[in-house]
Amino acid sequence: MTELRLHRELYTGAALDAALAVYAPHASFERADDAACWVVRITSRSPERERRIAGELGNYALGLTVKGRTR
Amino acid sequence: MRVDAATYPLDALYGAAYVFIDRCYVLLDKPDASWRVTLAWKKGEPTADQLRALVGEFANELLSCAWRAKIAEQNRAVIESVTAQALGGAMGPPSLDDLEKFDFSEESFEDPLGIALSWEEKHKKKARADDPHAAPPGDAEKP
Repeated sequence: MTELRLHRELYTGAALDAALAVYAPHASFERADDAACWVVRITSRSPERERRIAGELGNYALGLTVKGRTR
Repeated sequence: MRVDAATYPLDALYGAAYVFIDRCYVLLDKPDASWRVTLAWKKGEPTADQLRALVGEFANELLSCAWRAKIAEQNRAVIESVTAQALGGAMGPPSLDDLEKFDFSEESFEDPLGIALSWEEKHKKKARADDPHAAPPGDAEKP
């Protein structure tokens, strides 16, 4: 299992939700948000794949957050 | 790498991070008053030189974005004014009703420095007193 922590001040919750919907077919996700961060636990076939999905998920959420700000 | 939040605005951080998301996995964090940026190579293991170059490139992009954000902030009023004028112009010429409502009673603008004078008016030769064909001095001064 790989844990991805995205700070609430830097990533919007809506962006993360949209990113999770996009990557749902590639892994299973479990949310465990805390006060400061959005926390996503990622489970997939291999640790390498989990690491890659975590990276792509973070990039996707960041991209949507940035786009949401510039609108 | 750590980024001083007082020096670089959040928009600059987002702008720089956005440029790198096609090459790297970019993770932004805020452990304290500063921001922390983690860049992970997408393909393969980078060498130390590649990592140094990547960090340098990110720092340059961050500086560029911060500078652009500052310029945009300083010129915001001008940009808004030009945009408003462009939109106003796109609406077409005023209608007869608009012209009827227009207030023409306003006084014409003052020009104490003579900036609105044409070159000919400004540099017209002064009439010689002994020239019978010359226009009277009072006429030469008239615009």
